Amino acid sequence: MNLKSKVPTIPIEGSISYEDWLKGRRYRRELSKLVAPGVIRRKTSSSDRRLKKQFNGERGLPFTPTEKL
Amino acid sequence: MESQKIQSALADITAEQDPTIKSLKLASLCSALWAERGVELVVVGGSAIEILTEGAYASGDLDMCHATHASLPVRERQEIMGMLGGKGGPRNWQVAGMYLDLLGPVESFARTPFRSVQGPYGTVKVMKAEDLLVERVLVSVYPGENATARKCARELAVVALSGALQMNWNEVLRVANLPEYRNVNECKALVNEVSNELKIESPYHSD
Repeated sequence: MNLKSKVPTIPIEGSISYEDWLKGRRYRRELSKLVAPGVIRRKTSSSDRRLKKQFNGERGLPFTPTEKL
Repeated sequence: MESQKIQSALADITAEQDPTIKSLKLASLCSALWAERGVELVVVGGSAIEILTEGAYASGDLDMCHATHASLPVRERQEIMGMLGGKGGPRNWQVAGMYLDLLGPVESFARTPFRSVQGPYGTVKVMKAEDLLVERVLVSVYPGENATARKCARELAVVALSGALQMNWNEVLRVANLPEYRNVNECKALVNEVSNELKIESPYHSD
């Protein structure tokens, strides 16, 4: 499989611009979901009480679907 | 940063509904405000992994540490968060529709630099990918099997193997070989496993 990056790289040295980071979001999500499908957010943690109060019973905002990144 | 710019940034962050962008924007604003006072903040933990992988892992709290020797005095932290309409403190605040946790000094062993994203309000420093990978591999195994940590490690590995995130693979092994981790074999195995599954080259295949 050819997975050579099609997007700007997050470098070791220097910075990635905000625009380039945004451009790479979809590709990074697609890669991640090849090896860990679905939402992998933890079901519980010590912060549950405050998080569920803030996010209507969830532990955070819903993730933007890959096709909309 | 001028008060008007802070309020404009705050309104933008509060309205943001994408959790990863919201975290990055809040980290950007807080980093800029702390940097004005001589303290460098770094995004750590799940929020850092999310910024680097888009792995659908992070929850609604942003974890940050300070990379400079000293942090800000409690009074100054409260004043800054007060400007942002934050509630609570002195180490965690409800702000802009999420939570910010300031965890203390950053714990890093890699000699590579923090990753850096030029955020909309200031540069966001992100925990080193080498530290994150070795740590997640460790947590995936000890004290017991942890499937979520393993998925995070696999995400970091695949994004790095593809080149979308630069990783110093030699540094990964050096860190993994430290007494703090001692998980070289587990790290190599996980990276090789991901590369085998996707039929891509592993930096550790020739070992």
